[in-house]
Amino acid sequence: MATRKEGQVEVLQTLYSMLALVFVLVACVELGDAATVVDVYRLIQYDLAGVPFGSRLAALNHHAGSLPFTPGTDLSRTVIIMPIREVNITFLREYTTNKKHLGGLLLLLPRASSDGSTEETKDADEVPVVGLFRNVLAELEQLLVHATVPYPVYFAFEDPSLDAVLADVKKNDALGQPATATTGGYKFVVPSPEPKKISSPMMTNIQGWLPGLKGEGDSNQLPTIAIVASYDTFGAAPALSVGSDSNGSGIVTLLEIARLFTRLYSNPKTRGRYNLLFGLTSGGPYNYNGTLKWLRSFDQRLRESIDYAICLNSIGSWSDDLWLHVSKPPENAYIKQVYESLSNVAEELGFRINIKHKKINISNPRVAWEHEQFSRLRVTAATLSELSSAPELLENAGGLADSRRFVDESAVVRSVKLVAESLARHIYGQQGKNIQVFADGSSLAVNPSYIRLWLDLLSRTPRVAPFLSKNDPFVSALKKELAEHTVEVSVQHEVLDGMFTFYDLTKAKLNIYQVASVTFDLLLLLVLGSYLILLFSFLVITTRGLDDLISIFRRPPSRKVKTA
Amino acid sequence: MTIFHFFNCAILTFGPHAVYYSATPLSEYDTLGTSVKAAVVYLGTALIKLVCIATFLKVPENDNFDPYQELLKALIGFIDVAGLYFALTQLTHRNISQNHKFQAVGLGWAFADSVLHRLAPLWVGARGLEFTWEYILQGLEANANLVLTVSLAALGSLMWLRKNKPRTLIPIIYLCAGILATMPSITSYLRRSLGWQPPKVVGFELFSSLEDLLTLRCSSG
Repeated sequence: MATRKEGQVEVLQTLYSMLALVFVLVACVELGDAATVVDVYRLIQYDLAGVPFGSRLAALNHHAGSLPFTPGTDLSRTVIIMPIREVNITFLREYTTNKKHLGGLLLLLPRASSDGSTEETKDADEVPVVGLFRNVLAELEQLLVHATVPYPVYFAFEDPSLDAVLADVKKNDALGQPATATTGGYKFVVPSPEPKKISSPMMTNIQGWLPGLKGEGDSNQLPTIAIVASYDTFGAAPALSVGSDSNGSGIVTLLEIARLFTRLYSNPKTRGRYNLLFGLTSGGPYNYNGTLKWLRSFDQRLRESIDYAICLNSIGSWSDDLWLHVSKPPENAYIKQVYESLSNVAEELGFRINIKHKKINISNPRVAWEHEQFSRLRVTAATLSELSSAPELLENAGGLADSRRFVDESAVVRSVKLVAESLARHIYGQQGKNIQVFADGSSLAVNPSYIRLWLDLLSRTPRVAPFLSKNDPFVSALKKELAEHTVEVSVQHEVLDGMFTFYDLTKAKLNIYQVASVTFDLLLLLVLGSYLILLFSFLVITTRGLDDLISIFRRPPSRKVKTA
Repeated sequence: MTIFHFFNCAILTFGPHAVYYSATPLSEYDTLGTSVKAAVVYLGTALIKLVCIATFLKVPENDNFDPYQELLKALIGFIDVAGLYFALTQLTHRNISQNHKFQAVGLGWAFADSVLHRLAPLWVGARGLEFTWEYILQGLEANANLVLTVSLAALGSLMWLRKNKPRTLIPIIYLCAGILATMPSITSYLRRSLGWQPPKVVGFELFSSLEDLLTLRCSSG
């Protein structure tokens, strides 16, 4: 009876401890939450003449960490989350130049910067901050594009779930705690195969004609004026390279000019004695490879009939002056004529055009401007751009920093007016006269909403040529739009040759798991083991008595004695 | 590491059943056959229950507590009681005492329930990378369920097998049995209508099972 009483007391005690354990467990429970999946965009991977560039890996499976780190920490198994607003360029530069290994890098882009929405920034304070981002982004992009990064690099947009993860990770890193279930360790996983080479990347050039009016019995071929813009982009993240300014603004300007002139050319009375050739070329970032192929496909007579060509490049975010880049000396009669015609109109519109001469070095494979491809084939050409100097290879090709919010519609409208007006004066022989063909309010006025809609569309469409398929909806849309405004539209598919090799996998899904550490699992095992042992002892004591429990542990030696 | 977590959760879910079997005199009298039979009866009952639920219940469109549906569910839940009754009275057991019989039946019943309801989610979920408390809670729930089932079996054996029942205890026994049989509905009510979080519900289940154990202990001896 006494043992029974004792047993009861023990029962109650174990019960209390069990209850306490249960309540402790219950108290911890609220922390768990479900796995998150985020869209991420991979850093471009390419070979330039056999030399590897960009991120060389796609698969990711490491714990998350955040800056700052104490120097000397081993980061080869950590994915660093770095929001652009606090990005540490020197840290990255150090890591890429010294070829130090990271587990991975996740760069968080501010949500608004690539939104593609037409919303103007409402706060005046926000604009300089955004401008700052733009510089940082451009610098970061150049750094990453020209470096060989032996680990996966992904871009993602900030969103609430990622922000929560980042805050959690930061908190833990600041405390210096190892990742556990209760303190929130995160594991980033991107299940992804090995990136594969894109075999024979295609470029698609689109051209449209507006034939001029031939006089009676005029056997000579009409002269042609070409308006050309390259439409593809290049950037650190191919899936995010929308290039609103480079060269979205050029495409829009070209389309709008085609729209204006088709109205003039549809009426025989106003049909000019010049053919107009509109060309949307691909391969722009790769030394205008597409333009070269396109020009080579012309026959000699056609090429000789081109009076001059105007290439449009980045004309969407300027305020006071534009640049006309030429590769023949400005004293050249044809160049002079083009320049004067443009600068006359510019003066009337209230801004300035500067001319810049850059000689072509035939032995240098680098083609900085689109008109240089024309000039190499002895066609008079000039590039109209807001950039004052020639960009380096893969620079200013419409990457991350080039988003809709930096493009000014009114600048595009002014560009359209400038080019269209000067073209009209040339075509109708009204040089030097102050007439306005495309005056506001007339039936031939520039349509700002058309420009806005196309800019918005272009700012949502990544257009990195190797990742655009032959029948990409975007290419078909461009073709269809050009067919609306011109007569003979033809599409030319060419293989992008040269020194570039690209690798696929531009988008991925990032799985974020909250994981428990091994120590937590060990601890749990310990707790469970002791729980089961307690339960066992408790059951043995209550059903068979304490003596039985003790005898269980005594039995083995006694058996040994027996066998001996 | 995640296999480790699965292992832990499996211990928590199925360990107590094994411990219960080996620690109590059940193992000495070799009542495994009875437990297996009870488990088979459980399978049959579960099948009938599924058919009934599929026939009579609507698929809930939202997470609200619908009293009529829940009442039906509780009624269907009484099929469990019928199954237990069958297992306790109709099956021919080897000659074991009533005391061990209800324990063996309850154990087999609870184990089959755990295997059927918890093994597959555990295998699928706990091996994933993501850590959640869900499977630990589920294990705790399995523990509470073991106690509840054994108590229900004990009450059943008191009701149906014992001839000389003390008069005063009969209403209490029936009341307790009723509460136990409607336990799933009660937890469902707590979860849906009162909006309790899973941890709280599991805590309640554990608490009620312990409470239950105490009353059973007091009433029987």
